[in-house]
Parts: sequence; structure tokens; C-alpha cells
Amino acid sequence: MRKFFHLYIYSTLIAFAFLGLWVYITNFTELLDPVIFPSPEIVVIAFGKAILDLFKGFLSSMGLLVPAFALALVLGIGGGLYFGLHHRFRVILEPFFQTFSPLPPTLFIPYAIALFPTFKSASIFILFITTFWPIFLGTIQGVLLIDKPYWDNARTIGLKGKDLIFKVILPASSPLILSGIGTSLGFSFIVLMMAEMFGAESGMGHFIQYYTDFTQYDFVLAGIIFNSLIILAIMIIFEKIKKRLLFWTNLKSEAN
Amino acid sequence: MAKVLEKFINLKTENVAVPNKIEAKSIYFDYDGLEILNNINLTVKEGEFVVFMGPSGSGKSTFLRLLTGLAQPKQGEILVNNQSVAKSLPDSSVVFQDYSLFPWLTAEENIILALKQKLKKSKTKKELEQLAQGYLELVQLGHAIKKYPGEMSGGMRQRAAIARALSLGSDLMFMDEPFGALDPVTRINLQDLILQVNREQQRTIVFVTHDAEEAIFLADRIVMFTPGPPGKIAEIIDVPFPKTRNRKQLFESLEFIKFRDYVLSVMNRGVFEKLEESYEVRVGGEGI
Repeated sequence: MRKFFHLYIYSTLIAFAFLGLWVYITNFTELLDPVIFPSPEIVVIAFGKAILDLFKGFLSSMGLLVPAFALALVLGIGGGLYFGLHHRFRVILEPFFQTFSPLPPTLFIPYAIALFPTFKSASIFILFITTFWPIFLGTIQGVLLIDKPYWDNARTIGLKGKDLIFKVILPASSPLILSGIGTSLGFSFIVLMMAEMFGAESGMGHFIQYYTDFTQYDFVLAGIIFNSLIILAIMIIFEKIKKRLLFWTNLKSEAN
Repeated sequence: MAKVLEKFINLKTENVAVPNKIEAKSIYFDYDGLEILNNINLTVKEGEFVVFMGPSGSGKSTFLRLLTGLAQPKQGEILVNNQSVAKSLPDSSVVFQDYSLFPWLTAEENIILALKQKLKKSKTKKELEQLAQGYLELVQLGHAIKKYPGEMSGGMRQRAAIARALSLGSDLMFMDEPFGALDPVTRINLQDLILQVNREQQRTIVFVTHDAEEAIFLADRIVMFTPGPPGKIAEIIDVPFPKTRNRKQLFESLEFIKFRDYVLSVMNRGVFEKLEESYEVRVGGEGI
């Protein structure tokens, strides 16, 4: 904890200065429209009133994000492994990967709405497209860039099948797989909020859109802060998991 | 006269009646059109300690790779235990300069992973662990069983790699500059360890180095490669010192110093010839 303060003393000071400025401007000046920029106390009150709704929204959002992400993980890593290891098929399909992967997933919304029966399934589909490509391409890259000596090493001890995949190929390519997953997570929040703000009847994005329509910006701000905290928490957890999985890239050796 | 000669030849063949471990016949290898190895012939006897020496680019490591079956020669044939390595990797263990261990597994897990392939499913997890620990203790790594390669020093890593190679139980070991990155003391310790393995367990060892003293101390025979490309065998030198060798006495003896000079002169001869060759080309080129 002491180390934390030592490291982030200035960051903490800046945060408090910002908060102080916000209190000052909203309470003691008329620089900002009080409807759109409510003072912090009012936002805190709104936060307290809405906390239950905010959590419901969070669960609803996760109901879209988790299935989409899980599917993207399975198909992205599974497919990436397959195409990383099968040179011929990869070469044949590479042009399609290159064509489709950079497309904004929101382009497919008309078809998602037309083809899927509910808003929920359509959103999961769009979120899946969003999260699939970075994981899939990251895995292919990861497999292709495995150091050749690891392959030699695996061959000399006769590794095959399950052991080869889980003890060598996946760990060796995990740095790039995880970086793909990180990219996916980042995109997924953007798309999730877009989807919820324009079509949903629940969720974190919907909460914000709902109160915007009533110009209740204290609730809007409470929603934005809540979202930020959730996204921050998810990213911190992801970084922790990543660091843990990649522990071997960052070990300190004994002196020679 | 003929009879005497015959007798002499008989005697000689009796002396070397040990079976062949490795036979490489007229090996040729190129990479992207560049000749790496040309017309290499070599036989290694069972239990022999053979060292490949030569400057960088002489193809000694490439040749070792061909022997391990990790790459195939473009021409010629390699037999290990009288079986061609073209069909399947020979029964052998390989120690690389680095990379012999997977950094995401502990020393113990690395060995268990290798043992598992070897023993199929005949052993329980517990038995595999005990075996792995036994081999790690054998190389004085009993204290580092749960350590990851990244937490070990270079010497410890190579010890663990040797433990893994030993655990595989093969009587043939390939080692590609395994001690190249180690400090002198660690290096000496590991040289002693590997000689002990060669002697006590009758394992055949093929070892690559560019260090003349290391080569002489370890080898029964030194195979000297010419500077490539393409690398050829310049000379196969029998090391005249009986095993077991005492390092201090050997290194201080006049015979050793003379022999080392000889080995180095064989290597340098090739290097100088190569230099002259490229010089001539340059001079010729300037004339155009």
C-alpha cells in the first residue's frame, strides 16, 4: 500500500485536484450548464438511487458479452490453432481473413436484425464477430511465430497430440493469443455500448441512453462512472490473468 | 609379407569390432541453393565420444541436425542403429545450446513431459515424479526441482537439459554446443558430468564445439570440418590420450600442448585457405 502511494502520489493528487475543480465550477461559478454538468454531490445521490438498476444493467450486459466472448475464445483459439498448423488451408483462406477481419462489425447489424429472432441473439452475434477476429488472427500469428527450437525440442522428445498442443503450442503462442484477447475486450465494450444504446431495453448502455432522453444528466453521469469502473475492473482482472499466464516470460534468474 | 600385413589388419579389425552406432554415407545438404555440406562420410562406434569441431559456418551443427533426424540430407544416407533416420527419428536424446527446456514448465515438469512420451502410460504420476526427481538429483539439481528455466542460471538449465536427456534412456546423445554460453567453472563441471555419463553408462555421445581444449578433453575422436560453405571433413583426429583423463595433468603436459597446436593448425589451415580463396576472387573481380 505504501508502495502504491509512493508510485502514484501525483496521480492521486491530480485526481483530487480534478474533483475539487469540478466541485468549485459547478457550485461557485456559472461557467457550465448545471443540467448537463451536475455537481458531484448530486451525481453521488443519483448513483445511490440508481445502484440497483446499474447492477441489473451490468448483469444484462454480461448476458450479451459473456456468451459472445466465450464463443469467440473457443472458435478463435481453436480455429487459429488449426489454420496456424495447416499451412495449405491457411494460404487458401488467407484472402478472406484479410477481407473480413478489418470490417467494422456494426456493418452486419442489418443482417443480424433480419436473421436473428431477438435483440439479444442479434447482439451476441455482432459481439461475436467483434471479438472473434483479433483472437483468431492473434492465435494464427502466435502459432506461426513459435520459435523453431521449440518445435525441434518437441520433436526430439516425441511429443504428439494433446501434449503437443497443450504443453507446447498453446503456451508458446500464448503471448500473441492474449494480446489478441486484450484487443477483443477493448472492441467489445465499444460495440456493446453502441448496441445497448440503440436497441436494448436493459444493460449499461441502455441506462445511459434512457436518462439522456429525460435529460437527467446526474443519472447519465452516474452511469458513465459506473461503466468506467466496471470496464476498469475487467481490464485489471484481465491484465492479472495475462501476467499470471505469461509468468515465464518475466522470471528473474539466479546469477550464473 | 602379405601374411604379416593380413595379420596386422586382422588385429586392427578385432580392435574395432564394436558395432557401428551411426553411419553417414556421402551426405550432401544445401539450403536455398547454397551448399552447406558436401560428401560427408562418418562412422561412429558404440560408446564412442565424437566431437565435431570447425569454425562457424562449417556445417557442423547442420550435420548434427541431420544425424538427429530433425532435417533430412538432400543426398546420401544416415543410419543410426542400422536404421535409416529418413523414416523416423532415431532413438536418441538431444541437448541444444539453449531451448532444451520449455520455459513455461518447471525442471521437473519438463522431464516428466519427456518421460511420459517415452514410457507411454505404464507409470503413474507419482512414479514419474520420483523418476524425474531422481534424474535431477543425479545432476545436483535436487534443490531446483520446482524451478522454472527462467529462474535458473545457464549452468543449471544445461544440467536440467542433461537430466532430461538421461531420463529418456537412449544410449545415444547429441549435444550442440551445449556449454557454449557457460562460464569456465560451470563448463568444467558439466564436462566432467558428461564424460562420466559416457563412461559409466556406455552412452555414445556426439558433441559439437568450437573450443579446442574442450574437444580434446572430451573426445575419443575429433572430426574437423573445413570452413564452409560447403563444409567438408578436413580430418578425423584420434585423440591419443587415454581415458580417464586428469584435466590438470593433461593440460599441463607438453604432449597436450603439442596436440592442441596440431588440432588448431588443422582448423586454421582450412581457415587460411578459405581466406586466400576469397582474396583471389576479390583480386580477380577487381581486374574486370
